[in-house]
Amino acid sequence: MFSEQAAPTAQGLLAPPTAEPPIFPRLAVAGYSDCSQPFQLGERSFSRQYAHIYAVRLATMRPGLEQRARGRWGNDIALRRLSELQEGEKCCVVGTLFKVMQLQPSILQEISEEHNLVPQPPLPKYIQPCDELMLEDELQRIKLEGAIDVQRLVTGTIVAVYGCEQDDGRFLVEDHCFADLPPPLPWSGPSSNRFVLLASGLGLGSVSGEALLSTQLLVDVVTGHLGAEGEQSCAAHITRVILAGNLLSQNTQSRDTINKAKYLTKKTQAASVEAVKMLDEILLQLCTSVPVDVMPGEFDPTNYTLPQQPLHRCMLPLASAYATLRLVTNPYQANLDGVRFLGTSGQNISDIFKYSSMDDYLEILEWTLLAGHISPTAPDTLGCYPFYKSDPFILTECPHVYFCGNAPHFQSKLLQGKEGQRVLLVTVPDFSATQTACLVNLRDLSCQPITFSSFGADSED
Amino acid sequence: CHKVAVVREDKLEAMKSKLSTIASVHVYSIQKALLKDSSPLYNTDYDIIKTNLQHCSKFSAIRCAAAVPRTPPDAPRAPAQSPPRQRDPEATSVNGHGPRAAKPPPQQHRGIMGMFAAKAAAKAQDTPKEAKAEAKEAPGVSAASSKPPTKNSIMNNFFGKAAMNKLKANSVPEQPKEEKEVVKPSVAVAEPESSPNTIAEKPGKKTESARIQQKDKKSKMKRGDRSDDEEERDPENVKKKRKRIKQLLSDSSDEEDVPPSPTPEEERAPSPPPKPALKTELEPASTEVSAGGRKRKRKRVLKSKMFIDEEEGCM
Repeated sequence: MFSEQAAPTAQGLLAPPTAEPPIFPRLAVAGYSDCSQPFQLGERSFSRQYAHIYAVRLATMRPGLEQRARGRWGNDIALRRLSELQEGEKCCVVGTLFKVMQLQPSILQEISEEHNLVPQPPLPKYIQPCDELMLEDELQRIKLEGAIDVQRLVTGTIVAVYGCEQDDGRFLVEDHCFADLPPPLPWSGPSSNRFVLLASGLGLGSVSGEALLSTQLLVDVVTGHLGAEGEQSCAAHITRVILAGNLLSQNTQSRDTINKAKYLTKKTQAASVEAVKMLDEILLQLCTSVPVDVMPGEFDPTNYTLPQQPLHRCMLPLASAYATLRLVTNPYQANLDGVRFLGTSGQNISDIFKYSSMDDYLEILEWTLLAGHISPTAPDTLGCYPFYKSDPFILTECPHVYFCGNAPHFQSKLLQGKEGQRVLLVTVPDFSATQTACLVNLRDLSCQPITFSSFGADSED
Repeated sequence: CHKVAVVREDKLEAMKSKLSTIASVHVYSIQKALLKDSSPLYNTDYDIIKTNLQHCSKFSAIRCAAAVPRTPPDAPRAPAQSPPRQRDPEATSVNGHGPRAAKPPPQQHRGIMGMFAAKAAAKAQDTPKEAKAEAKEAPGVSAASSKPPTKNSIMNNFFGKAAMNKLKANSVPEQPKEEKEVVKPSVAVAEPESSPNTIAEKPGKKTESARIQQKDKKSKMKRGDRSDDEEERDPENVKKKRKRIKQLLSDSSDEEDVPPSPTPEEERAPSPPPKPALKTELEPASTEVSAGGRKRKRKRVLKSKMFIDEEEGCM
């Protein structure tokens, strides 16, 4: 891939140069179309209840699930609503899962005086053995038990369960199924090597500056300032850079204004101001050489609820002068050279991580794809806009590349579906911690990590 | 797994042996003394970039056809417009108008500064990137300093560059603030005259004004620009790493390209007269040099590391 192509001229820059330095034109993007209109909110109104999302979600996914259920358990099974259940009758019910968790942070409990609770510190995981699963449909809810993994599942998933109602009012599950992979998209990818660089978690504005040289090396590799000629020509094959969130570090989030007295904080600038300036410069260097898509993340200056709106152009005056900069939403969906990309900055995956026994980010990523929904835990534990007409997080078509940012390490997997779907799942690691980014080859949907390192005070390599 | 690493010279072979295919190897930086960590590398690089923001991809081998600035109606805040706006407040002390107006007064200042700069640059000349300044090469520099103002910037650049590096505090000649402000209009004036090339005044102006406004302590002068560096890298002295500091002794043609940029406006408060300050700064520096004195090269190795991670099943 990248390395083999570059190898022949590896020592090229250790000798006197040739007369004319070569010039490599950046491969132009053959086709780009932004498909993230569903995630762009125009006028926002928060006066609605969140129940409407669940209603819409269930209504939209019900037909697909009923079809899956029939395919799995036979065409003649009985599909019932909860209100139509009869004791002892084997049937299939489609509904939304709700997991009752004791440790789930609840603001009402915290402020309630009769409980006298101390606010709970954030835990890595909120699961407990005594958690229970309930199935809800439009009108009723019922407790589930049986062949269903309570620890693994999370609230908000639409599921079809097959079993029968017990006499004590619980539903004994014999089997269950999810929406499974969405229908495949036709493949029209490029025939030559074209790369897309995925990076996330640049973490600018953090107190420590170790990752800064690595960030600069990353920018230099992409813009062709580093490496011998072979390497530079390979870098010219990078047609796009997608920055998947957390461009600013968590340190920029602390607000002294809340804790300190006003006379102490009056003249101090927020940490994010300086960090955004640095980001602007980095983006400018990138934009003069390659199209860049910038997605906001958890710590970036945009709204908190999903879908996060693009960063505003006025924050990046230098870089936004270039047409190659695209400020996009989180989640982000686009067609690049005929390959459909869909990805988030990682909030959805890390939220599921907190409320499920699944530990592996790649596993969770795959599970969301099989469940047919990008972030089922929104709006329960993850902030979400109160949709009521449609739920944009439902997966209607199977993307070719499905990624999530800010994962603890790099993982990738090529998933093959029964209906001919081919999806590359990529967990993009946090750059400030791992100094690793990913290179996706659009021709064959393969992925390669690229690591940057410098030398530190202790002579480790 | 593709690995990009900056390694010390003595660790180079060890690193090479760990990797399966070597995609690229070249010298990244040369210093006179051993660096403890890579932060000076980053800092110097950052300064150069900051002073050349508008042309950062000019000397890259990759050309992107799509990277054109948006037309003004689309992007009303194009960088070109902001510098004049920002500079006006500063320029008011010199003259009420914008940049173009005051030519004659600046020139004599420029002359004075030129001498200071030349002297400083003389000291600074043999400092490759991270090294300390040494007071040498007077003849070369004085010859240079007698040249027209276009040289000043270079001298100043080098001077400032050395200042940037290990020299503490103000190793930079404390140019009085008036000079700085005076220089700015002169710079702007000089712009149309200088060869229309590379580092336009705009980045210079912009960084200047930005600096002044922010009272930034760092010395961000127009260095021997990245453009020149890159240029030098290929045609000439490849061994000399990607150094920002251009060989001062090299052809004047390159240097002429660098417009007479604002010089060492170090926002140090104008205090002590530049010369004595200069000397005192440099002396500790030179002692440091003699103590440290090993030449250390840093090479950048781009390698590919193919390993199969069994548990994850990915390459």
